Amino acid sequence: MFERFTKEARAVVHRAEDEARALGSPTIEAEHMLLALADARIGGAAAALLREQGLDPEGLHAALAHETELSLAAAGVAIGDFELPARAPAARRRPRFAASSRRALERSVRAASALGDKRLTARHVLVGILRADVGTVPRALAGAQVDRVALMTRAEQLTG
Amino acid sequence: MTKTVPQMPADPADGLAAVLALRRLADRLEDGEVERALADGWTWEQVAEALGVSRQAVHKKHARRLADSGLPQRRR
Repeated sequence: MFERFTKEARAVVHRAEDEARALGSPTIEAEHMLLALADARIGGAAAALLREQGLDPEGLHAALAHETELSLAAAGVAIGDFELPARAPAARRRPRFAASSRRALERSVRAASALGDKRLTARHVLVGILRADVGTVPRALAGAQVDRVALMTRAEQLTG
Repeated sequence: MTKTVPQMPADPADGLAAVLALRRLADRLEDGEVERALADGWTWEQVAEALGVSRQAVHKKHARRLADSGLPQRRR
């Protein structure tokens, strides 16, 4: 799947693995790819677009934490009730791609094709992530008052 | 006798997101509690029985992670 990925798009995927690890997640989720893109050094123009919406790395972390809190609250659970231990870092075990990130990458490939682009860049990865209308990312964006569809349209119009 | 049913949200999107968030929370709690029990001298067999799973299952899920983190490994 990765053969058409530019160096920048590959860097997003690599960085997503670091983001997953840093958060103690055994899996690489779509939100970890979004966190990777939010870093200006990795996401470039995509990061600038996210930043305009308040989704710099810090803002995005906050939006994701808020989504978790709200989702748990819906089941009557307050995350503050738990003293969560720092997870032992999974030092040698690499996080594996979860369904959410696989779907996002598949959608990125389709988006690149639909836009007539031969190479798959960071912006296509952003479009692929934003195409999901259910799941953690769209919920976190909605909670942060970000118009996901408008953002996706703008990401499609980015050049490069 | 009145039966109380956990009140889940009306919107399935919220209900499903709650399931996902609970699963992730449970996984994090499990990691920490398994580590704590083993550090307290529990055997893998005891941890497995307390969690209602087989020793193989709990060992497969946690042994490598805990070995990587440097927790002294007791007998299985």
